Amino acid sequence: MIVYIAISIMFFVGIYGMMVKKNIIKMIIGVNIIGYAVNLFFIVIGYKNGGIPPILISGMGIKEFVEKAVNPLPQALVLTSIVIDLSIICFLASLSIRIYEKYGTFDLEKIRRLKG
Amino acid sequence: MSLIVFPVILYLLSAFLIALLWKKYKKISSIACFSFSVLTLISVILLGRYVFENGKIIYFIGGWEIPIGIALMVDPLSFVFLLVLNFILPIICWFSISYMEKYVKSSYFYILFSLVSAGLNGILISMDFFNIYVFLEISSISSYILVAFGLKTEQLEASLKYTILGFIGSTFILVAIGLILGKTGTLNIADFTSVAVEMNKIQLWFILGLFISGFALKTALFPFHFWLPDAHSLAPSPVSAILSGLFIKITGFYPLIRIVTNIFIMFPESKFIMMALGLASMIFGALMAIDQIDIKRTYAYSSISQIGYCALALGIGGYYGYLGAILHFVFHSLSKSLLFLNSGAIEYKYGTTKIDDLKGLNDKMPYTTATGSIGMFSVAGVPPFGCFWSKIIIIIAAVKSHFYGIAFICVIVSIITLGYFLKLQRKIFYSKVENSEVNENGFNILMPMVLLSIFIFLSGIIFSPNIKFYVDKAVEIMENFSYFQIMEK
Repeated sequence: MIVYIAISIMFFVGIYGMMVKKNIIKMIIGVNIIGYAVNLFFIVIGYKNGGIPPILISGMGIKEFVEKAVNPLPQALVLTSIVIDLSIICFLASLSIRIYEKYGTFDLEKIRRLKG
Repeated sequence: MSLIVFPVILYLLSAFLIALLWKKYKKISSIACFSFSVLTLISVILLGRYVFENGKIIYFIGGWEIPIGIALMVDPLSFVFLLVLNFILPIICWFSISYMEKYVKSSYFYILFSLVSAGLNGILISMDFFNIYVFLEISSISSYILVAFGLKTEQLEASLKYTILGFIGSTFILVAIGLILGKTGTLNIADFTSVAVEMNKIQLWFILGLFISGFALKTALFPFHFWLPDAHSLAPSPVSAILSGLFIKITGFYPLIRIVTNIFIMFPESKFIMMALGLASMIFGALMAIDQIDIKRTYAYSSISQIGYCALALGIGGYYGYLGAILHFVFHSLSKSLLFLNSGAIEYKYGTTKIDDLKGLNDKMPYTTATGSIGMFSVAGVPPFGCFWSKIIIIIAAVKSHFYGIAFICVIVSIITLGYFLKLQRKIFYSKVENSEVNENGFNILMPMVLLSIFIFLSGIIFSPNIKFYVDKAVEIMENFSYFQIMEK
């Protein structure tokens, strides 16, 4: 339970960084933290207390394996999710470089021209 | 039936080939992209024959049966979306051949265009929550980059905003998928639908809420709309046409249809949420569109208003509501793509889309004026063009379900739409100027628009049992079956 609370705190820290901070780099860090929180959430879903890697070693019974092994599916999903996060962060970083070239600042207050 | 993977694979192949070859053969990118999109259209039409003969097609990737493996499925509902998507994409690609010439590295545009198209096709054929998420991200990330394609200052800012909000939407969807995986241990949609009936109602509401807010952010329904006007109005025009005509509907509206009608069938209350969101975005979009200084911003707000009609029709439900939702999706996709291509044609000639800088285009660009007027009349719901029929069906649906107030609001918003489009037309097309010479665009710019407007005109006139037969199959699926039953049928 405490892990889920930690994950939700991490999630809201990320949301805070993304929504409240005016510096683009801090926003990107917020995006990063949210990504980590979600990935951790996926890992925790598949985890069991005292679990072993989902590899069937010779000499181990199937029943024991099923009881002890962690669920490998969320781990496989997290790999995909990490790649997606990575590409978003990469794009945001390159975008912020371009924005810095045009405006000379990372401050969103000074950049804002669109009304929305 | 392995034909089902072609809509995704052909576009991925196109992206790969262009990335590999564009430096050596400069001309290849546009030609390759266009020919691959036409090939995809052909494969989708071939697919359609099987779909309507058998009711559906299921394909198990690698031969692994569900729930272990990943499955792909096309049923009549997703086929309607697939056909409209793949009909419009080659036309937009054709338009971009001339339009994108002014950009130095236009080959990157075709790579990203192919990736967006592959992602959109993938969302429509996959039958697995995580698969949908992955395809959603493929198309979303490519579209974030496409919005900033011109590297102008405003485009960068719009893209930043769009990326951050799109990321939040995707995160909501991903968390909901994680909860589903944790609670049921399955990611297959059909499997989840059969298990979900016995689940805890509060947990299901939480998952439903996350899904609706995530996909409503992608659809730009009212409280989640604020990224759309910037992103759609500042992107290059072919990109706006994809985003406004297709992207928001397929990444957002199609999953919402599935969620409300096929997956979470135990919650009929979710339709009221859709109705409320739809009504709010209808009214808000129409009011905001009245007083804009830029043509593309007007169109963008009009998109919010019209996607509101789709969501409202989905919320009203019943045969006529679902029919209205699907038809409004089809006709609005055609019309809004045409309108954004039209603004692109104006921009290509005059370098601006500010309303005050453009006057008397009727004498200078007769074909652009004619196609633009057809698009505007269609979106506003003037008979006999497409959207008239879908709007009148939505109004009939509201009256049949005894929502008289909603029917009245539909009519009023439609009149407001006609009002701001007439104002726009009078200002940019039909105002009088002296010394006007005909200064029309080339064949490659005009022909896609003419093609789309002919199709909008014909689809309005030939609204006959022929088209209705196919749409009825899709409506039947929305009305009667859960996702599990579609698979079992």
